[in-house]
Amino acid sequence: MSETLHFAEHRLQEMALVFMAVVYILRVRWLMKFKAGRDRQAPTGNSTLRRGILYSWFIIARPGAMESTRAKPFLYAQFVIFHLGVTAAILMSFIIPYASGLMSRPAATVIFQVFIGAAFIVAVMRIVRRAGNKYLRAISTPDDYFSLGLLAVWFLFAFLAASNQPQRGETFLLIYFYMTAFFLVYVPFSKISHYLYYPFTRFYFGRTMGHRGVYPMSARK
Amino acid sequence: MRDTATNLKRSQKAQTVIDRLGKKLNRQIVGSLAACVHCGMCTEVCHYVLTNPDDPTYAPAWKADRIRKIFKRHYDWTGRVLPWWVGAKSVFTDEELEELKDIAFGKCTNCRRCSVNCPMGVDFAVANRMMRGLLVSVGIMPEGVAVVSKDQWEIGNQMGVLKEEYLETLDWMSDELESELDDSAVRIPIDREDCDVVYSINPREVKYDPRTIADAAKVFYLAGESWTMPSEGWDMTNFGLFSGDDDLGGAVARRLYEKVVELRGKKLVISECGHGYRSTRCEGPNWAGMDVPFEMESSVITMLRYIHEGCIKVDKTRNDIPVTFHDSCNNARSCGLFDEPRELLSLVVTDFREMYPNRAENYCCTGGGGAMSMSEYTPRRLKSAKIKADQLAATGAKIVVTSCHNCVDGLTDLIRHYKLNMKVTQLVNLVANAAIVPVKVPPVIVPVEIEIPPVMPAIPPERLKGYKILVVDDEPDILTFFSAALEDNGAEVLTAADGDSAIELAGRVKPDLVTLDLSMPGTDGGKVFEALRLNPETADMRICIITGRPELRRLIYDRQVQPPEGFLDKPVNEDTLLLNVRKILNIN
Repeated sequence: MSETLHFAEHRLQEMALVFMAVVYILRVRWLMKFKAGRDRQAPTGNSTLRRGILYSWFIIARPGAMESTRAKPFLYAQFVIFHLGVTAAILMSFIIPYASGLMSRPAATVIFQVFIGAAFIVAVMRIVRRAGNKYLRAISTPDDYFSLGLLAVWFLFAFLAASNQPQRGETFLLIYFYMTAFFLVYVPFSKISHYLYYPFTRFYFGRTMGHRGVYPMSARK
Repeated sequence: MRDTATNLKRSQKAQTVIDRLGKKLNRQIVGSLAACVHCGMCTEVCHYVLTNPDDPTYAPAWKADRIRKIFKRHYDWTGRVLPWWVGAKSVFTDEELEELKDIAFGKCTNCRRCSVNCPMGVDFAVANRMMRGLLVSVGIMPEGVAVVSKDQWEIGNQMGVLKEEYLETLDWMSDELESELDDSAVRIPIDREDCDVVYSINPREVKYDPRTIADAAKVFYLAGESWTMPSEGWDMTNFGLFSGDDDLGGAVARRLYEKVVELRGKKLVISECGHGYRSTRCEGPNWAGMDVPFEMESSVITMLRYIHEGCIKVDKTRNDIPVTFHDSCNNARSCGLFDEPRELLSLVVTDFREMYPNRAENYCCTGGGGAMSMSEYTPRRLKSAKIKADQLAATGAKIVVTSCHNCVDGLTDLIRHYKLNMKVTQLVNLVANAAIVPVKVPPVIVPVEIEIPPVMPAIPPERLKGYKILVVDDEPDILTFFSAALEDNGAEVLTAADGDSAIELAGRVKPDLVTLDLSMPGTDGGKVFEALRLNPETADMRICIITGRPELRRLIYDRQVQPPEGFLDKPVNEDTLLLNVRKILNIN
């Protein structure tokens, strides 16, 4: 392994992770400095805050719970595949430097490549949808296109780097790790950081809706 | 003043909006403004989008982005550092604020359907309400919103109902009930202290639908409830919810809560009104910043309890026409009130047909969010109502029941527009109709020969016989509709299609009542009204303004002449017209 690749897998990733963590802490502090509104009204029926919040947090794993996901199973499947691919590609950036033995098994490589490859296809489909759908075009910012494009390229190189064989050439690994580092630095400034807000937005929405007896939503239709 | 970053000049109002935005932000709103990923999942759940498929400016995310851009530019570091990259953009001119008004008030009813369908938990409706509030704070709002807000601030209710008018209506309804049930105990108690229930209503009930007050009173009477209605602070609606004005919201809610405390009421029962229920039961304590020391519930729950506990008996066969139920957005989606009305319906009707989608997923009546008071957006509203009209038609029902006065108006309007053969009613009307009145055991008396007076029907067919009514309107359909309704009840009807003819006819014929439209070509209704009042011969003539532009009310009431005896907003159905005509002419 070259010095450059070793640097990219270790020192560079560590520096980028620390940077991301610092920015995230600042971001959460910024969010927390806004006061949280209080729900003074009496609870509705047997509703509880806890049930509402839990329902809200895990609603994303229940495609039938919202019309928007229920009516579009194909888009929901894309969402699942895309995010599983992101998880696999992030996981790989830790496994290769710190537990490379795991990646030496062909089956592991194949599993990662299946997830990441599928996510790459979905990313391309999402780019096409964003550029082709007039509603999405109207609401998209340069960051929306750039983040999606960047992820697609990252998936591609993660897929190519999954075999982790630097002796047969380091190019894919280098690009993958440099891109991973770039992501870690860029993500807090982009829409990709939405997962940072998800627990907050869903917590407050679930708290209100749970308190008022709207969540969990009735299964009877 | 100039923007420090761009050196562009900014209007005073735009600067105020930006400054006040900072003060309105809380963690929930910041989360909703920062978390949108522009996934577009909200798009096709909005009734405006579904009826305007070629216009992306109706998409909830697009609409929310208008305020999000300002937020990002001024309060989020990503937008301050790289504004163009994340779509951040400031606001500079009053014209831009007017555009925001068009979006916040004219393209969204705050129904929250997009909010419950957002995977991220972004509450679009809360952001839109905040935008409305910011615009209202600098005086930029539809005229109707200004008029209604002013009435609620100054007169204490959103329809400008005067105290005498309110008490008179309660008295009138008490008379009707007394004659129907033959018991003086049925009269509506006013300001009685230490009651179990204080009943609050929507001013629309006083203005257009007093029968709902009588029906509620009948239910309370039959249930043997210890109840009262306050003489003041009785309006449970709150235009602060629609205008985004938290100060108004707090003041109105406090007025009602304090009255209940003053009367030492144990429970506040809120009549069937979606935004009233949400404002009073859910949002009011937050706006007023007070923990309310008594229980609050919807009259739907109260009536259901009466039946469950056997306080009233009902015969559902009296309501045998097929009905469907429309969930008000504020009741269902924002307050979780969707199972109780269905349970109550199942007890008082024989043929209930579910509407799809329903409960918290139901579509807005399209008159929500104060849309009925913004006549400039009426064509847009009625176009978007196609979704609701299709939903209603698919049920095959003849009656649509809803627990919301706003929805009653919105649905009535769209039913007329799309020519659906349906009527709108409320649960209280059905419960009152199904309620079994216990037969009184007559006292034992010695028979004597008396002269039995002829039995009068409950509603004489020609109650308006002997009255001359002048109908003034430039719309031929309205002239025909009003004339037919009034003539069918025995009135002698004269019509005028323009202001000059109206003045001439009124002076010559001296009708007992003039129904007067305001928007007419040439001499408009406002000028006709003033001319009649200033002419000593017609100054005392009873006049009822009937207009499709409620925002013009101020132009009438601000005149230095005696106010009109009645004021109705179009659309007006036959029952409302006749009730109000009878009331103005003092025909019980």
